[in-house]
Amino acid sequence: MAYQDPMDALGDRTRRAIFEQLRKGPRAVGEIADELPVSRPAVSQHLRVLKEAGLVTERRNGTRRIHRVDPDGLGELRAYFDEFWNEALAAFKAAAEDERRNG
Amino acid sequence: MSTQEAQDLTVRKTVVVDCSPEQAFDTFTERIYTWWPFESHSPANERPESATFEPRVGGRLYDRTASGDEHEWATVLVWEPPTRFVVDWHVTPGNPSTELEVRFVPEGDGTRVELEHRGWEAYGDEAADTCASYNRGWEAVLKPFVEAAGR
Repeated sequence: MAYQDPMDALGDRTRRAIFEQLRKGPRAVGEIADELPVSRPAVSQHLRVLKEAGLVTERRNGTRRIHRVDPDGLGELRAYFDEFWNEALAAFKAAAEDERRNG
Repeated sequence: MSTQEAQDLTVRKTVVVDCSPEQAFDTFTERIYTWWPFESHSPANERPESATFEPRVGGRLYDRTASGDEHEWATVLVWEPPTRFVVDWHVTPGNPSTELEVRFVPEGDGTRVELEHRGWEAYGDEAADTCASYNRGWEAVLKPFVEAAGR
């Protein structure tokens, strides 16, 4: 499964802004573009990355494509932190013990 | 959703460090810049040149890049050095924010550091529904951590 890391996808400020828009409710590309200083093609491009990361899903409503936050993507985000804290605490442990030896 | 299921959403980690609670607490807060894995998790699009953990209730945890941009990660809700702190964690994009509590418990000559990252249920009922399917995955992730922490 070619899943992009959700945090990588949200590492871009414009994508974060789009994601926050969608957290308020489902929206079409044009509606997102209206609220941000970003062109529609750029919004579409960012949405593609968010979809690949599993954070956003799309459904068709007639001729419109409506985007919404994918609840499974939020699970991904939580799972991301589950792993992230393992790494962070390992680094913290090394720093705390190093400080003791040096200090 | 039952209370039991709500609790299952919390990320819990424990690590035992070979130093005093004071040392562990200060390293986690005052010296966070020395160990935080910015490569994996940074609010800015570039590595910041400082990270500041203001040591009081209402204090902010933020970083600052070379260009002077500040990014806030969290605000302090509970500040009880060297026993525990709780912060409102909002570095993760999208509202609502989550809550991070870290406790420092003396254990022998060292300190057991207990971390809880909670409040994911605030993402809505959909997140709770999702949580059940992740339970097995969490166990797989936690097992090697427990083994590593136990060494």
